Amino acid sequence: MERMVYEVRDVSKLYKKGKVKANEDITFDIPEGEILGVLGPNGAGKSTLIKQMVGHLKPTEGRILFAGEDVSKQTRKVASLVAYYSQEPHVLSALKTYEALAFTGRLRGMTKSAADREAEELLEQFGMTELRNKQLKHLSGGQKRMVGIGTVLIGHSPVMIFDEPTNELDPKNRRLVWNLIKERNRQGTTVILVTHNVLEAEQVVHRVAVINHGRLLDIDAVSRLKQKVDQRLKFELSTEFGRKEEVMAALAYWGSMQDNGENRLVLLVEKQEASRMLDHIIRHPELPIEEYAVKPPSLEDVYFHIDEQVRKEAALV
Amino acid sequence: MKLSTGTNHAAFGVPLKGPGRLWTELSILFRIQFAIVRDSWAWVILMATMFPLTTVLFMKFFAENPSEEMMIRIIAGNLIFGVIVMGMNGMGQEISWQKHEGHFTYYASLPISKINFVLANLFRGLLNTIPSFVILGMIGQLIYGIQFHYSWGLPLVIILSLASVVGIGVYIGFWSPNHQLTNMLVQALMMVVTFLSPVMVEIDQLPAPLQWLSYIFPTTYAADAMRNVLLTGWSRGVMLDCVVLLGYSLVTIVLINKMVNWRVNK
Repeated sequence: MERMVYEVRDVSKLYKKGKVKANEDITFDIPEGEILGVLGPNGAGKSTLIKQMVGHLKPTEGRILFAGEDVSKQTRKVASLVAYYSQEPHVLSALKTYEALAFTGRLRGMTKSAADREAEELLEQFGMTELRNKQLKHLSGGQKRMVGIGTVLIGHSPVMIFDEPTNELDPKNRRLVWNLIKERNRQGTTVILVTHNVLEAEQVVHRVAVINHGRLLDIDAVSRLKQKVDQRLKFELSTEFGRKEEVMAALAYWGSMQDNGENRLVLLVEKQEASRMLDHIIRHPELPIEEYAVKPPSLEDVYFHIDEQVRKEAALV
Repeated sequence: MKLSTGTNHAAFGVPLKGPGRLWTELSILFRIQFAIVRDSWAWVILMATMFPLTTVLFMKFFAENPSEEMMIRIIAGNLIFGVIVMGMNGMGQEISWQKHEGHFTYYASLPISKINFVLANLFRGLLNTIPSFVILGMIGQLIYGIQFHYSWGLPLVIILSLASVVGIGVYIGFWSPNHQLTNMLVQALMMVVTFLSPVMVEIDQLPAPLQWLSYIFPTTYAADAMRNVLLTGWSRGVMLDCVVLLGYSLVTIVLINKMVNWRVNK
C-alpha cells in the first residue's frame, strides 16, 4: 500500500467572514516519492494551498495531514521534514552565498562539516564557486534564485516544495534545476512543484494538480490528463503579420482558439472535424496562413482545456 | 507513521540534538541577524549613542552645578532608557520589519524555536546598545566626576531589565498588522516610558495616579535597580527589584511561547 506524505481533506480558506474564498473544498493525497506539479495561473490559489501545507496558514475548514498528523498541530515537525522555498524575498540577502547555504543546513540540524561540504558541492553544481564570498544582495536575480533553490536542497529533507523555482533562470540553469529535482526524487524525495511553466513541468512531474479560482479542477497523471483532451487535435498556425484576426474569425467555427502571441494561433479541433477543417484551409488559399502543423496535446493544452470546461460549466449554472 | 525517506544521515553527519542543537541554532540565527548590520554597524552605534550622549552633555547647559545625585539619576535613567528603547522599541520595529519583509517565511520553514529567534535579535540589539552604555558611563565619570559601582550585579540588572521589557516589543512585532502602525505604537509607548513612568524622573515627582500606574510597568523596577546598583552596588533593594524583573521575564517567555506564532497565521 502506498504511504501518504500528505492527505489534504476538504480544505478551504475564507477571509472576511466567508466573503472571500482563497481556496475551497480541496481534497487530494500525495504518496511518498511522487513529484506533484501544482499548476494554475497567477492568483489561482496555489501559494495559499502550499502555505497551508507547510503550516504557515491555517485552513478555515478541512484539515491537512502530514505523515498522518495534523499539520497545524505539528508545525515544527513539518518544518523539520519539509524544505520549502517561497518566492518571497528572504532574510538571507545580507549573507554571503556560501553562508546562506551552510547556515540553512545547520539550522536544519546538520553538523558544521556536513553543511560546509554540501554548501560547497551545491555551489560547484551551480557553477557559482567563485561567488561564494559575495553577498546575495549583489547577485543577479537568477543567481539569487539558484541559492534559494540550494537552501531547499541542502540537508536532503524527505519532502521538498519549490514555488516557481525556474522563474528568472536562463535555459541552462532551468535544465540544471529540473535535473537536480529529478535526481533528488530518484533518491526518494517527495517533491511538490508549484509552477505556471507548464511545458517545463511536463518533463518532470508524475501527477499534476490543476488549480484555478481556489479550486482543484483536476488531479491526475500527465498521460491520463492528456487523454481527456485527446478527442481533439491541436493545430498550430502561423499567420501573416498583422492578419491574425482574419484567421481567427475564419476558423473560430472549427474549434477552440488560443492566441499564442505575435502571429501564432492554436486551434483545438474534434478529431472527426479535423479533415474537414484541413480541407477548408486548403480550399481557401486566400487565408493569410503561412504554416500549419498538427501536434499531439501537451500538458499546457490539458490545462487550458480543463479551465475552459470549468468556465463553461460555471456559465451554465 | 514515519517517512522512509527521512533524514539522510550520510549527508547530515550525525544530526545535532539537545543543547548542542540549541546553541548552534542560536549562534547561526545571531550571525544571520548580525549580517544585516555588519555593513553599517558604525552608523547604528552612532545613532544609538546620539540621544543619551546629547542629553548628558547638555546637562551642563540646563542645570547649574547639578548635584551628584541628580547626575546619577539622569545618567542611570539614560542607561536604562537605552536598554528599554532597544528591548521595546527596537525589537518591536525590527521584528515587525522582518515580518513584513517576508523573513518569517524563511524562519517558519525551519525547525527552530521562537525563543532563539528572539534571543538572536536581542543579542544583535545588545551589540548596538552596549557601546552607548559604556560611553555614557565613561562620560559620567570623566566629565562629571561621578564614581559608579561596577558590581557583578550590573550585568544581571541589564539582562533582567532587557528580558522584562522585551516581551512587549516582541508581541508588538509579531502582531504588527503593518509596519507604519507598529512604528506609531512603539513611539507612543516610548512617550509613556519617558514622561509617564519613573525612568527619567523620580517616582515622587509624578502625579499620584501615574505613581500607582507605574507599579505595573517593569521599567519602573528596571530604572530603580539600575540607579541603585550604580550608586551603591548590589543591595537588598536591587535584589527585590531583580526578583520583580525576573517575574516579568518569566511571564514574557511564557507569553512568547504561548501567544506568539509565526507559523499558523490564522
